[in-house]
Amino acid sequence: MKQEDSTILKKYGKDPGFKVPENYFADFNRRMTEMLPDVEITPVDVKPTMWQRVKPLVYMAAMFAGLWCMMSIFSHFTPQGNMDNVRAVAEKLYDDKGNVDDFIMSGVSDYDILNYEDSVQMSNEEEPAIKK
Amino acid sequence: MAAREKYDEAQVVEQLHDPKLCKAAFGKVIEHYSSQLYWQIRRMVIDHDDANDVLQNTFLKAWTSIDNFRGDAKLSTWLYKIAINESITFVNRKKAMNQMSIDDDESFLVNQLESDEWFDGDEAQRNLQRAIATLPEKQRLVFNLRYYDEMKYDEMSEILGTSEGALKASYHHAVKKIEQFLGET
Repeated sequence: MKQEDSTILKKYGKDPGFKVPENYFADFNRRMTEMLPDVEITPVDVKPTMWQRVKPLVYMAAMFAGLWCMMSIFSHFTPQGNMDNVRAVAEKLYDDKGNVDDFIMSGVSDYDILNYEDSVQMSNEEEPAIKK
Repeated sequence: MAAREKYDEAQVVEQLHDPKLCKAAFGKVIEHYSSQLYWQIRRMVIDHDDANDVLQNTFLKAWTSIDNFRGDAKLSTWLYKIAINESITFVNRKKAMNQMSIDDDESFLVNQLESDEWFDGDEAQRNLQRAIATLPEKQRLVFNLRYYDEMKYDEMSEILGTSEGALKASYHHAVKKIEQFLGET
């Protein structure tokens, strides 16, 4: 109960001071039930209608259709240029795998490579002499 | 004494539409709701014999139109609606019979209180009933449903067909008027 009626509640309580004769409700219920006239009752068909049965399926189908429409609209309004950019970036990334080799070789100077090639060449030239 | 059968509203509503079971089901409805409806009616009409007549009319009306009750609303809401309409109609009819103005609720209800042999409240309870009698019909209804029955505003809104905000305002005004009346006496 709210604060605003707490003054009334504290001072007067909830008993309105009304009384009823003894066993009034038990007697009333019995008398009332006995005096009910005959009435015509139409039996209610409790079987669900066709619409009530298919309603969840229709709602679900509508939800998926809505999702499909939204995705179609989004893809329709995405500019083709953007897709080209995406493709170009992907190709670039794929090509850039060579950069990994560059990175590994970055600690080797041109002088080292020339030295290495010279030594290989010299050893190749010496080998036939030994065979002879 | 036989044990009282548990009241299952969903089952009772279903049985009310079965021609073979409807009378017994309505007996259960009477047993379950007679007390709460009686007290609501009694607070509206004050006199016990009048409340008894109005309660009887309420159940008769509900029974004869049970075919129209399809279970869209709660059974209690439907019964309260009938009881309140019957109470208002009864009070207006009795006022007309006593050649009183339709707006003169206060003196009518105070007369009812003074002549009711089944009122045995003390002076404070009598004063509170006098204070409630000064309220306009709608505020009196809202006050009685909220203060005595502790009914929720959403349920009251369904019964009286008024918005919850308007009911809260009505209750607030009713409390202020009662406090003012009691402060003056």
